[in-house]
Amino acid sequence: MRRITELAVIISLILGVSVLLVLAASILIPGVEVRQLAFFYLYTTINPWFQNYTVNSPEAVTAIVWDYRGLDTLFETSVFYLALIAGLALARGLFSETLQGSFNEKTSGLSTIVKTVTRVTAPMIIAVGASIGLHGHLTPGGGFQGGATIAVIPLVFIVVYSAFFLIARGVTSNKMLVLRSIGLLGIGFISIATFLIGLAIGRFAYVFQNMPKPGAIVGLPADINGALISGTLWFFNLFEMIAVAAGFTIAFIILLLAGRGGSGGR
Amino acid sequence: MITSILLLIIAPLLSIFFVYMAVTEKDLLKAAAYSAGQSIAYSILLQAMSTPDIVMTYIAVSVGLYSALLVFVISKTERFER
Repeated sequence: MRRITELAVIISLILGVSVLLVLAASILIPGVEVRQLAFFYLYTTINPWFQNYTVNSPEAVTAIVWDYRGLDTLFETSVFYLALIAGLALARGLFSETLQGSFNEKTSGLSTIVKTVTRVTAPMIIAVGASIGLHGHLTPGGGFQGGATIAVIPLVFIVVYSAFFLIARGVTSNKMLVLRSIGLLGIGFISIATFLIGLAIGRFAYVFQNMPKPGAIVGLPADINGALISGTLWFFNLFEMIAVAAGFTIAFIILLLAGRGGSGGR
Repeated sequence: MITSILLLIIAPLLSIFFVYMAVTEKDLLKAAAYSAGQSIAYSILLQAMSTPDIVMTYIAVSVGLYSALLVFVISKTERFER
């Protein structure tokens, strides 16, 4: 009886707050200044008749994330990187990535049916992740989403095969850290790529510049042979995808192997 | 239009139900499953608000990675809350 009363109280509270929210939303609409900013973003996201301001990307969210507000995303990626470094430092000595005793791929893990299904679906998941990531400037999605989808693969393999399967295949935390660093370095390089081109040809250019802007006519190409890449957006999504996939893989390896032997493990 | 308004009403209520079940459940594995259910309700809510970018991130992280993380953590401790 008490549970039902609690539940009724919670539901009535939620309904009350919902009514309040609906009323508030119908009265408090965003100000005119905010609307103008949104109008500017939507008007310039892809606009062939407005070449000096456009991003040439049909996906406004990716354009905002990596072009209009690119610096925020760069710092976000750096914070994720530092968090992983901290995780690795904390787990140091708690896990060892050397194969212990006799590890047999045939006998360890789940049944053959599950293993076969995993082997068939793994390339599909990678294809979906790559499509979400590399089409981030065309359709909803982007580097983080694609990378997180691809990161499901090591997780599934660890669960279905065994914790040491990936390590026997050479997927160690050190190699993933190298891949993660390549991703971050790539993002850093792309962010100054236009600036470097500007330096090389002696023209003025901004850091984190994508398309030509008034006063800075240097820019990356919007398409390669007719295929839209939106300048820096495609490269940012590619490197972010690599970085996120490798980063989540490191996290899983740490989590699954922590406490399973190692030099300082108890 | 009416469908999305209905979803905007139903999905939060569903998420409240799942949160209540997750908090009161003594079996931690079941609680993790309820937590994933709450994430699904939120995904429906976000889709009804027509934010597909956030839905993709949210589904991959909260339903997939976060639930897996919880299951790993539970496997390192006891399954039933005392």
